[in-house]
Amino acid sequence: MIRKLTYLSYLKEDLLPTEWCPGCGNGIVLKLVCQSMEKLNFPKKGTVVVSGIGCSGRSAGFFNLDSVHTAHGRALPVAEGIKLANEKLNVIVISGDGDLLGIGGNHLLHATRRNTDINIICIANAIYGMTGGQYSPTTEVGSKTLTTPSGNTDLPIDVQALVKAHNCFYARSTTYHLKHATQCIVGALEHKGLSFVEVKTQCITNDGRRRGFKNGYEMLMSYKDNYKINDKSSELEHDEIGIIK
Amino acid sequence: MTKTLLQGNQAIALAAIKAGMKFFAGYPITPASEILHELTNKKEVKVFQMEDEIASVNAIIGASLAGVKSMTATSGPGFSLMQESIGCAHMMEVPLVIVNVQRVGPSTGMPTLPAQGDILQCKYGSHGDYFPIVFYPNSVDELYKYTFTAFNAAEESLSPVILLSDGYVGHLYETIEAVDSPISERSRSPLGTSNRHFTGLTHKDSRPAASNTDVHKKLIKHFETKQKKISKKYNNYEYIENKSSDTLLISYGAMSRASYYFKEDYAIYRPIRIFPIVEDIKEIAKKYKKIVVMEMNAGQYANEVERLIHREVELISIQGGRIDLHDIGSRLKRINRKK
Repeated sequence: MIRKLTYLSYLKEDLLPTEWCPGCGNGIVLKLVCQSMEKLNFPKKGTVVVSGIGCSGRSAGFFNLDSVHTAHGRALPVAEGIKLANEKLNVIVISGDGDLLGIGGNHLLHATRRNTDINIICIANAIYGMTGGQYSPTTEVGSKTLTTPSGNTDLPIDVQALVKAHNCFYARSTTYHLKHATQCIVGALEHKGLSFVEVKTQCITNDGRRRGFKNGYEMLMSYKDNYKINDKSSELEHDEIGIIK
Repeated sequence: MTKTLLQGNQAIALAAIKAGMKFFAGYPITPASEILHELTNKKEVKVFQMEDEIASVNAIIGASLAGVKSMTATSGPGFSLMQESIGCAHMMEVPLVIVNVQRVGPSTGMPTLPAQGDILQCKYGSHGDYFPIVFYPNSVDELYKYTFTAFNAAEESLSPVILLSDGYVGHLYETIEAVDSPISERSRSPLGTSNRHFTGLTHKDSRPAASNTDVHKKLIKHFETKQKKISKKYNNYEYIENKSSDTLLISYGAMSRASYYFKEDYAIYRPIRIFPIVEDIKEIAKKYKKIVVMEMNAGQYANEVERLIHREVELISIQGGRIDLHDIGSRLKRINRKK
């Protein structure tokens, strides 16, 4: 028996497959968001997806609902404008760590302060993938990228601390922990006020291959080995995933 | 009809509410802040003071797409910050009104003496080809009137319309009648009602087409045609003929107020819709031997006029925020003595 993948109704199926590289994790996040929306019976009318620029910025265009693909770093103020103008809309932002924390970092600082009721799904692949693999605001210290050939020396942004500073919803998961990631996204979508889900996502083409990974699968499995679920504490260690409300 | 004493900036704020604006986002900046102040606590409009001008213009992009008429107001430094997103709004065809109360630049310049240094930035400030509609009134009464026009043109063209002012006109107090104009309704259904995709990428039928040359050419042509067509409805300019003079004095905004002092001796032309440039100037210019453009920059509009009428024009450039009638008078005489 062929099982109908009902969550696909949230996507424009004729645009599939996506243009993302083989082994990329963005598609996994797209699927998780759709499944979470389905779980909560999100209406297609009344929901808007907003994204910024980068590989992850292409996410919005796949959704079978009204969506906005903004300028680089500006997904948050656009999303806030939408929500503040029409409070009835569900507003979901899907964008990358470079977009949300680098060029758009100032907006996150203030959006959390305003606690605008929007849901942010951050595809955190720790690399500027679309431009060839430069280090990003979440690249780990020591990580070798195109622009850090001897290893990154800058600290990655402590997103958890940033989001929690203004008592917003924060969750972290990975593209390996599918069930856990869905729980995080569902929790975020149900949350009143600003929610931020950081999904650690693999980029094999412009990151992993420079760091000795043979393929996307190997990177995915590294999340299994490197992250453990913590659903008790009020703060996540850097190798833990969980929800902090 | 009752008369009210209003400041230029105040007039914009009050007219915007009457024109149906429901959302305003802005960041404090002299000499534009009074617009933000005037709107705060007005029950008809949601007002947000954002973290910067980039956030402000993007918030109104979101709000406009979400279904309400939206506006922001700033001065040169903020206007520079907004440029990328103004291009984005042209690409996504988002109706907006962006007020720029100009001050002396570049950079922080002379806070906050009046200037007209952002004329070309209105037209060319963002990357790529786009064809903005720009209005530049010169009195409190006109600021009130053209705020309606700006909102109407934005809705009709589905594009961001720039309403220019300057530190002089913005801070000017005048007694006006505040006559409301008819207003255009929203021209597009709000977000959350369909499955459209608004993108800054080259696109066709709500889908990205980022590597299709033909689609891109058609899209840019569509922008150009649309802006030309809509702006024809607003061929606004002021022309004071002077049969005893062989010189046409062209100026706009604050400078045009100074030009009135010379109307005995010179013909006066004042573009109000400064972009797309009103082509009537081609015919009007033919009647005069000399064309003088007087503006508070190094000749930004003079170049545009020259390009349009294919004739050399004389420039009276006023810089540093001070308008000195005696100085203008002697410079005009000097130009007139030239053969």
